[in-house]
Amino acid sequence: MNPALRRMKDLPSTHLLGAGSAMCAGCGGLLALHEICDLLGARTVFVNAASCMTLLASYPFTPFRGSWLYTAMASAPAGAQGVRDALDILSERGRLPPEQDLTAVALTGDGAATGIGLSATAGAIDRGLDFIYLCYDNEGYGNTGQQSSPATPLGARTATSTGAHGHPASKMDLFAIWVAQRPAYAATVIGADPLDLARKIDRARALKGPRLIHALAPCPPGWSFDPAEGVEIGRLAVKTGIWPLKEYVDGRVVHTHVPHPRLPVEEYLKRQGRFRHLFEPGRDTRVLAQIQSQVDAYWEQVCA
Amino acid sequence: MYRIRLHGRGGQGIKTGSRILGSAFFGAGFEVQDAPVYGAERRGAAMSAHVRAARTPIRERGVITRPDLVALVDETLLQVPAANVLLGVDAASVLLLQGNGDAETWRARLALSGTVVVLPAAGERAEAELGGARCAGAAARLAGVISRPQLIAAIAQELASLGPVATATTTAQALAAYDAVAPHAGVLRESRPAAATAFAAPEWIDLPLESARVAAPAIFAAATSVEVRTGLWRTMRPEIDYARCNRCAWICSTLCPDSAIRVRADRSPEIDLEHCKGCMICVSVCPPQAIRALPERAARARELAAAP
Repeated sequence: MNPALRRMKDLPSTHLLGAGSAMCAGCGGLLALHEICDLLGARTVFVNAASCMTLLASYPFTPFRGSWLYTAMASAPAGAQGVRDALDILSERGRLPPEQDLTAVALTGDGAATGIGLSATAGAIDRGLDFIYLCYDNEGYGNTGQQSSPATPLGARTATSTGAHGHPASKMDLFAIWVAQRPAYAATVIGADPLDLARKIDRARALKGPRLIHALAPCPPGWSFDPAEGVEIGRLAVKTGIWPLKEYVDGRVVHTHVPHPRLPVEEYLKRQGRFRHLFEPGRDTRVLAQIQSQVDAYWEQVCA
Repeated sequence: MYRIRLHGRGGQGIKTGSRILGSAFFGAGFEVQDAPVYGAERRGAAMSAHVRAARTPIRERGVITRPDLVALVDETLLQVPAANVLLGVDAASVLLLQGNGDAETWRARLALSGTVVVLPAAGERAEAELGGARCAGAAARLAGVISRPQLIAAIAQELASLGPVATATTTAQALAAYDAVAPHAGVLRESRPAAATAFAAPEWIDLPLESARVAAPAIFAAATSVEVRTGLWRTMRPEIDYARCNRCAWICSTLCPDSAIRVRADRSPEIDLEHCKGCMICVSVCPPQAIRALPERAARARELAAAP
């Protein structure tokens, strides 16, 4: 661990991401992005797939210190490939001194990361592209009104899962899909734990090759909660074990935080309107037990 | 035809309010249009919704530029030029405003010659989330052609997917507003449908050629987004009590999603009110609870009172 990142106090106190972007008040994705930018520094090119963050940089306003490239929903890794190739060519021709090199960062929501753009991502990992893939995961297509995506968790109500028991499928494990392809690095993070996030970004930026940063992004309108509670809900996602904080480095998966004691998942679920139908008017014991047993099974396998 | 424009912020239920009002008119036997208008911005940003109701088929389309009624959920929007709240308001228009103060004061302050009806502000929460429904209830009464059962049925229809609790609280708020403006029932009059013969072509405005730097600015500067004053989105304002502040600004400033808390040299935090959108995360994460949430309306009133 970088000794300069031991305590919260060691986190950067000047913030690089500019204020005034058009994201919602209390956006969990923006929270993670702003913490990540402080660690990555200004020498970046963000390659943004269509998502809520489409609106981050709306001409002529940008919150970034470096460049921003906008791509179609499935194409952020391809855009990052183009940026990386261009930088490499400049470098080979001696027109880009090493200290002026930039990091290509694909920035997408979970819709692009787990659904529409997954094959482009698989291709980029396969080619060993030197880039960071940052997915802020608000567990649905938030920009268009929170329709279900493959990242939507079991039981959540979305614009397209309006049945009595909510979303019928379990959340896709993007981290596992990446790890199966043996990338240079992969990590899950959350803005509500800035120190854990900072250590992982610090580690990722020192490596080369495909690197995943997967940030859970509590979403006040999409998940239906008061924006003030975003950080608390993020902490509960970790404390209940629903969002495991982990990293894949040197060929193995390490959990950077093992919640102990682990809170019941209900503590997390009942704070969000998207799960209200599991508690009102009557308790949906079957779905609640199913969610809890999935989390229990995960941690049993981790701690075995 | 009734032409009604609702103004508020994303998250205050403006779109829902216009749907309720549209359905209530429909239930009362009218032909109806309702449509929200919002740009690329989000919860907290200015938006409007447009309702037309008529006894004959409606052939007008698009935004309402000559409103018979403007219902304003959040009077702080009057300070946001882009919200264009008073567009087309004339002596024949009614302004329904949710907030404090009396109608005469608002008429004088806004230099309006038409009718102003003030809907007393409800509790902070109801105002924040149900402002659209409250204004729909009040507008229904001002028109005087929608009965209580028709309003209740419209709410039940529009909120069916949100469940019985949301329907009940919304109905209570809308009916409270419906009753509160009872003395003004019928003040809203129908205006004549627009006739093509009365259409006045807009006057031409010649735009001079500008240099490319001005007309199509390239972004060569970093973080230009600070030019966008997202502080105008705020309905609640965080306020630091420096006597209780622990000087642990790395907590609130790191957890502020909008980079709107600066760390001073003495490690105390400073909130950038030009950009703070009012999410109140800082209030909930402050270890010594030294930040409190203040309604923006009250904070601005205090500033006005303190100004020389």
